[in-house]
Amino acid sequence: MRVAERIKNDAGKSPAAVAGPSVPTTGSGSVRKRRGVNREGLEAGRRSTRTLLWILLAAAMVLYGFPFLYLLFTSFKTPIDTIAVPPTILPKEWTLENYANALGRSGVVASFINSIQTAIISTLLSLVLAVPAAYGITRYQTLSGRIFIMAALVTRMVPPVAIGIPLASMMASMGLADTPIALSIAHTTISLPLSIWLMSSFFEAVPRDLEEAATVDGCSRLGALWRVVIPVVSGGIAVTAIFAFLASWNEFLFALLMTAIRSQTTPVVIANFQTQFGLDWGSMTALAAVYSIPVILLTLLLQRKIVAGMTLGAVKG
Amino acid sequence: MRISDRRFALFLMTPAALFLAVFVAFPLFRLVADSFFKISPIAGGPRDFVGLDNYFRAFASEAFTGAGWRTLGYTLIVVTLEFALGLGMALLFTTLGRSSQIWRTVFMYPLMIAPIVAGLLWKFLMIDNFGLIGTLLHQAGILSNPNQIGWLSDPNIVLYSVAIPDIWLTTSFMCLVLFAGLQNIPGDLIEAARLDGARAPALLFRIILPLLRPVIAVALVVRGIDAARAFDTILIQTNGGPQSASETMSLLIYRTMIRFGDPGLASAMGTLYLLAMLAVAFVAVSTIWRPGKDS
Repeated sequence: MRVAERIKNDAGKSPAAVAGPSVPTTGSGSVRKRRGVNREGLEAGRRSTRTLLWILLAAAMVLYGFPFLYLLFTSFKTPIDTIAVPPTILPKEWTLENYANALGRSGVVASFINSIQTAIISTLLSLVLAVPAAYGITRYQTLSGRIFIMAALVTRMVPPVAIGIPLASMMASMGLADTPIALSIAHTTISLPLSIWLMSSFFEAVPRDLEEAATVDGCSRLGALWRVVIPVVSGGIAVTAIFAFLASWNEFLFALLMTAIRSQTTPVVIANFQTQFGLDWGSMTALAAVYSIPVILLTLLLQRKIVAGMTLGAVKG
Repeated sequence: MRISDRRFALFLMTPAALFLAVFVAFPLFRLVADSFFKISPIAGGPRDFVGLDNYFRAFASEAFTGAGWRTLGYTLIVVTLEFALGLGMALLFTTLGRSSQIWRTVFMYPLMIAPIVAGLLWKFLMIDNFGLIGTLLHQAGILSNPNQIGWLSDPNIVLYSVAIPDIWLTTSFMCLVLFAGLQNIPGDLIEAARLDGARAPALLFRIILPLLRPVIAVALVVRGIDAARAFDTILIQTNGGPQSASETMSLLIYRTMIRFGDPGLASAMGTLYLLAMLAVAFVAVSTIWRPGKDS
């Protein structure tokens, strides 16, 4: 059982360590050398070179981080200051006016609720469908499974604009027009294929002895899946959930096509600011900041899991 | 009596397969079917079978061929630049080693930002009159006038400008994937090359890049497919303008359907677009991915 336990522990803290290309973790001083791999191979040796590289990195970070910081600064400017010529980087006078304006507009708070609702429903739907499917594909290696995972991959190549409009009219004929459910289903068409691929990679790393031991102990196959395998891949499920959530949270095209007043998500509201209220840049930047900050914080908290999913997601599709 | 393994596997896959059949395959079928009809934009309006007429119209229209080339150009711009930048950053992180970990995390943040927000943000940076980029370039002495470059209003350069948010958003993705690939290059190999007197450029082009080839191929294909579907960032920046100079395929199809109310023509365009994407995907899948096997 030692192997299983190790897998279990690894799955808990870093799914990448279990399956697929691993992203090295810092590890508290313990050098985790792989077989024949000298990790220091590409690292720069000389101090002067390193200093130069650090300066280069700092410059890149400033350039890269600046646009979002500028958005944040702009959101605290007074409306006149926002469109001043020439523009200034920092606000002359810090104000929360834009936030009050943006959040006070009718429909904005409701759109946040819609966004959260849609993302949660779509994440759950994605997991409920993807977890058993991926398990069926990887555990049993049947021909149908192989065909199915290929089909799922092909689905990821479908341009949303191609299915968006027929999908919207389908939802309307099902009586689901302008509901978070309809949009969640649409978002699941995007996140399900990726979820199946991610979950397959995580299941691949689970040794079969695990369920075999459980079935010997009298568990049914479903029971073994539920009680033994699922807890082992819980880290992988978390990664998959984050990706499904982010996909829905940031999605725009389906939201534009499938929502009207009742179920509009915040990205659509942000885009509408342009046309409905002239160019109120202050409020737009404030709303954009409010919408971005929760996910940025989430990312910083869960970065290791996200890196794991990102690399797996890329390799697997 | 226990059911067979095959049945059990099928039972596990059925819900997801049904979902994809109903909500992806069926709409796609409707799209293809619609492409053979002339459809009134009003719901419940007339619907006449016109055969391949919509396809002929698509190929005859300059908007369609133009959008095709622009989509290709846009994809090349985005993928090339973000690959170059992503590789540079990945090498930088690798050579700095473990101590750069925090910065790798920080570098990831744009990945979490909605494309619509990124498009809006860069529009604000590049807009005529009060855009910060023009002003900064002017203050640095590069431009004689802050408005000298009409980032989003000059048809000749707008396709490059609208690509910037996409590049900004996804360079980190490229960087992460390449970084992971770099970690798997055995250090001994690098040491040996160094002992043989290989300098940095030779090391990069003769050893590192060839070893990274599979990872690079996957990253380019994944990002290429995503870039070819770009919609949000362009819509919010220019809405395809000026003079359609930034109208890519997704935008054209969307506008043909919604603005110009021609579902039949839009469906034909959508079908062609889909076929092109699937062709690329098929080639990529059969050469790079081997599904079911661990890579």
